[in-house]
Amino acid sequence: MRAFAYSRPASLDEALALLGASARPLAGGTDLLTLMKADLLAPERLVAIAPLLPSGIARDAEGVTIGAATTLADIERDPTLAQRFTALGQAAGVAATPQLRNMATLGGNLLQRPRCWYFRNRLAQCWLKGGTACHAREGENRQHALFGGSGCVAVHPSDLAPALLAFGASARVRGAHGERIVPLEEFFSLPTGERRSETRLRDGELVLQVSMPSYPEETRSLYLKEMDRRAFAFALASVAAVVRVSARQRIGHVRLVLGGVAPIPWRAHGAERVLLGEEADERLIEAAADAAAEGAVPLKGNAFKLPLLKALARRALRSLLL
Amino acid sequence: MKRIEGPEKVTGRAHYACDVRLPGQLYARVLRSPLPHARITRIDAARAERLAGVHAVLSSANAPDISWYEESRLFDRTLRFIGDELAAVAGESEEIAEDALRLIEVDYEALPCAVGLEDGVRGKPQLQRRGDIDNGLREAEVVVDAVYTTQTALHNALEPHGCTAHWEDDSLVLHESTQGIFAVRDEVAEKLGMPKERVRVITQHMGGGFGAKQIAWKHSVIAALLAKRAGRPVQLMLEREAENLAVGNRNATRQRVRLGAKRDGTLCAIDVHILVQSGAYLVGGEDSDVIGAYQTLYRCPHLRAEQVGVRTNTGPAVAFRAPGHAEAIFALESAMDELSRALAMDPIELRLRNYATEDQTKGKPYTSVDSLRRCYGQVKAAFDWPERRMGQGSKKRGIGFAAHDWAGGGGWPPAEARVEVADGAARVVTATQDIGTGTGTALCQIAADELGLPAERVSIVLGDTREGLYSPTSAGSATLATLGPAVRMAAAKAKKSGRGKGSRVKNPKDKSIRTCGAQCVEVEVDTETGEVRVLRVAAAHDCGRVINPVLVESQVIGGITQGLGYALSEERMVDACGLVLNASLEEYKVQTAADGPQLVNATQSMPDWEANATGAKGIGEPPLIPTAAAVANAIFDAIGVRVRDLPCKRERLIG
Amino acid sequence: MSVPLESVTLRVNGAERAVRVEPRRTLLDALRLDLGLTGAKKACDMGNCGACTVLLDGRAVYACLLLAIDCAGREIATVEGLHDDPLQRAFIEADAFQCGFCTPGQIMSLKALFSRTPAPSDEEIVRAVSGNLCRCGAYRNIVRAARIAAGRR
Ligand SMILES: Cc1cc2nc3c(=O)[nH]c(=O)nc-3n(C[C@H](O)[C@H](O)[C@H](O)COP(=O)(O)OP(=O)(O)OC[C@H]3O[C@@H](n4cnc5c(N)ncnc54)[C@H](O)[C@@H]3O)c2cc1C
Ligand code: SF4
Ligand code: FES
Ligand code: FES
Repeated sequence: MRAFAYSRPASLDEALALLGASARPLAGGTDLLTLMKADLLAPERLVAIAPLLPSGIARDAEGVTIGAATTLADIERDPTLAQRFTALGQAAGVAATPQLRNMATLGGNLLQRPRCWYFRNRLAQCWLKGGTACHAREGENRQHALFGGSGCVAVHPSDLAPALLAFGASARVRGAHGERIVPLEEFFSLPTGERRSETRLRDGELVLQVSMPSYPEETRSLYLKEMDRRAFAFALASVAAVVRVSARQRIGHVRLVLGGVAPIPWRAHGAERVLLGEEADERLIEAAADAAAEGAVPLKGNAFKLPLLKALARRALRSLLL
Repeated sequence: MKRIEGPEKVTGRAHYACDVRLPGQLYARVLRSPLPHARITRIDAARAERLAGVHAVLSSANAPDISWYEESRLFDRTLRFIGDELAAVAGESEEIAEDALRLIEVDYEALPCAVGLEDGVRGKPQLQRRGDIDNGLREAEVVVDAVYTTQTALHNALEPHGCTAHWEDDSLVLHESTQGIFAVRDEVAEKLGMPKERVRVITQHMGGGFGAKQIAWKHSVIAALLAKRAGRPVQLMLEREAENLAVGNRNATRQRVRLGAKRDGTLCAIDVHILVQSGAYLVGGEDSDVIGAYQTLYRCPHLRAEQVGVRTNTGPAVAFRAPGHAEAIFALESAMDELSRALAMDPIELRLRNYATEDQTKGKPYTSVDSLRRCYGQVKAAFDWPERRMGQGSKKRGIGFAAHDWAGGGGWPPAEARVEVADGAARVVTATQDIGTGTGTALCQIAADELGLPAERVSIVLGDTREGLYSPTSAGSATLATLGPAVRMAAAKAKKSGRGKGSRVKNPKDKSIRTCGAQCVEVEVDTETGEVRVLRVAAAHDCGRVINPVLVESQVIGGITQGLGYALSEERMVDACGLVLNASLEEYKVQTAADGPQLVNATQSMPDWEANATGAKGIGEPPLIPTAAAVANAIFDAIGVRVRDLPCKRERLIG
Repeated sequence: MSVPLESVTLRVNGAERAVRVEPRRTLLDALRLDLGLTGAKKACDMGNCGACTVLLDGRAVYACLLLAIDCAGREIATVEGLHDDPLQRAFIEADAFQCGFCTPGQIMSLKALFSRTPAPSDEEIVRAVSGNLCRCGAYRNIVRAARIAAGRR
């Protein structure tokens, strides 16, 4: 790692005043330090923000608010989340490893960078890092995206993000010029020529907390993840599903978000349309799973993710609806 | 008996090469080639040398001209793979050494490169023949003809390669993470042009090697030169990435296999053509004898086996736990399974019909003629072959079988040991190294047996070339069978006179020694997601007399666990430009605790007194050998998909 | 860029230890190099293996992904702080290691589990060490050792 200065400001305002392109916020450090060790990032200053950020899980009539400094371990073990936001607790529980879950914060989890093996290799100056070409598109791409690949075909690595998106979460964000609330659906955004990043967070802004609206009690949810081994791996594909079946056995609410298959968590709008207002049966679920895979553009090495994705969608829906 | 070094290992008191702390110690880092093939046109380390905290810098510009890897040099002007050594720095900390590397300016002229097994430069074929292959194939009533490929696997011992070097006057002391302290001593002395006696190599504990640490690598000489230049001790441990680029891998292979058999299952022809990826250099010690297993495992009158090494601009291959055999047995035992299907014959029955009682390469009978047959029986009973349970829904279950042999486990001279007895206690003095297999514990037990002492009263000295008692490199699963008899002889003498020296006597002339074994595997394959779960593995291996069942069992479960990684998930990925994409433990997927199946070790003690005076043979490498084939065969049994390319990744099963 | 050394006081195994380090020094390097506590091992330095596992305020963490300076004032426990712990005895009894390089990390991960859950199930045990690779493949015996320490045989 290259040398850097370290600050531990006394207040958030002080922290915000320090932050900028060359001074980065340090939370759990589990992504930031690996990027710096690989010499992909060389900030001149790290600003310790974890002690200053809200931490913990609070529930009120409006819903649930989770502080950005809350660790994945705390999210995994929280009884309220386990009961009412099951998919989120499950997603936290299958992310990374016990040690990493003890260190990693929610805010950092949403802002972690892709695991694309070209991205993580300092010898490859690829498009997402400001270069001209994506090496993965024509290169080795078994882990890469089925959807949303324009400039970059990396997949978003977070397990929590799909679950949070499925619960319609928004982030409270603060910069030197004030606060704003950003729905995660807008927070995550495909990288563009001008913004080579997966989020719309600006340099110098901090995520303070993430909130989910409250859901009627009969709402059910599930997170399923497939990996190359049974632990200690990022998702090859994952599905977060949230559903509510109304009194007349109709599907009154549904959100299906896919992980590991696009540069950002990917909402399966087509599948949701198939399901909404219908009565669930095997045939409907099959149609929804097919719809979830619609629009996929497989690359040379990742076609296997298509059947995988459909199987996950089918399983999640079956388990929640049948 | 428990491992004697247990208390040190569970308290953190066990010191490895990376744990050595000497006064004034510096830390070194190596600059590596960013290109797969290039010539250095300019190298300028002046800025690195001026950096505060830097004490020595070495590169082709100032290093002594030491020849290495056939035609190459310690720091060559031509770089032949991404990761090839280019310069090195010693500084007050690893951080400073790294800062300095970034200040070294290098200009390159890129040269054309070849990365894949099919694209590289082919060497001279190695050919083995027996009988008349054309006749054999003509006689065959059933022929299996298939191409199998195996991937490049990375050792990834948890402790990287590395050492701490310091000079005492004009003598060099190396605390090295190695499987062969004498191999390192001799090689380093030769490279530095010093008499061997002035190099001392110490390895008290080492964090795994699996073959990759059985030779001396450049870092030892680099550390020694840096230490000399700086006048201070230098520790040079490789980073994980360098570990996975530059210090060995299991060679990828492509094997075309033709098996010809009679309707009753009798083999009449084995014909194989094999490509083996050696990487950028022949480093010595690779010994990847892929054609070996084809020649011995089954009785077969007609055989042609050809192996061709292929040079590519990728890191060099080196021995990896049962080199050659693991690759060959995957293909041979998959082909045998295909043959058993073609013949509609139980796979174990097919193996029994072709049982080899003699070493067909030497025309000598085996010392333990029946042991493989007994392994078949033991593993069959332990597994309840061919019992399989039913899967549910999309989850299909299947069972697979594979056998193997291994020529290394019998050991051979030379090796020496001394035993000293006083006050009802004994000390075994050797200069072997314990690489985590429990060698020290087993040698204490051998001495204790001979002396009639409780094993707790016997201690052992090892891991230091200064003892002068020669011990071979821990490789080939040969250590115990090599050194054990010498220790026993020394103990027998010491019993009479209080002190005795023993040496390893020759192996029997008229017989051949082998180790062998068999495994059964049950898998569950999810036909929708392609996930393969290994549910059960049963193993029976012939390692002669089991001196310590605890240690044998650990080798068996460890070997199978690595074998499962080889079967399912481990594969070095290299892109068309020679960039290794998964030189990390995140991307290169070894097994975790959560992946573990139920493991049943059915290995029984089968003393082989004809082999040597301890009756014991090796068990270090063999348990890895048959696992991949047994898994692939079980997958076929489950879902009817024949995986001929390792690893059995899910994209090979669905989509 | 040159950055002055910072004084940091670490509480390691119950004792205050002062070190002077660059901000970029990891907790792992501070333990291994500045304090001579070499039980925690550096095998990947990237949070990919678990060999560097120590406890921070009672929770298992990867010391290679923490800055020493960020750990000031927090409670750090390493394998050197264990004395005749039931887990250590059980590791020997179950032969839960071969080379031993991953062992301190495995033990510390289980230590964190046992302090919360004195009699864990097999599933909890496997989960607790799922972030600790063992290339020697001693997993089955690591689980057995934990079972023994939990009072089950
Ligand atoms: C081996 C390994 C395996 C992993 N496996 C998984 C997995 O399976 N699933 C998964 O979801 N994740 C996985 N992760 C990723 C891990 O969850 C993230 O690294 C972690 O959540 C990041 O949180 P942190 O607090 O450590 O962030 P840091 O590393 O501190 O920060 C990450 C980035 O976010 C910025 N940042 C942090 N907090 C804020 C904030 N509040 N506001 C603004 N910017 C901020 C930092 O400046 C930095 O750019 C894995 C990581 C590793 C190393
Ligand atoms: S997928 Fe994205 S991160 Fe990977 S090489 Fe392409 S542009 Fe870079
Ligand atoms: S050394 Fe820290 S996780 Fe590997
Ligand atoms: S005992 Fe060697 S890595 Fe675990």
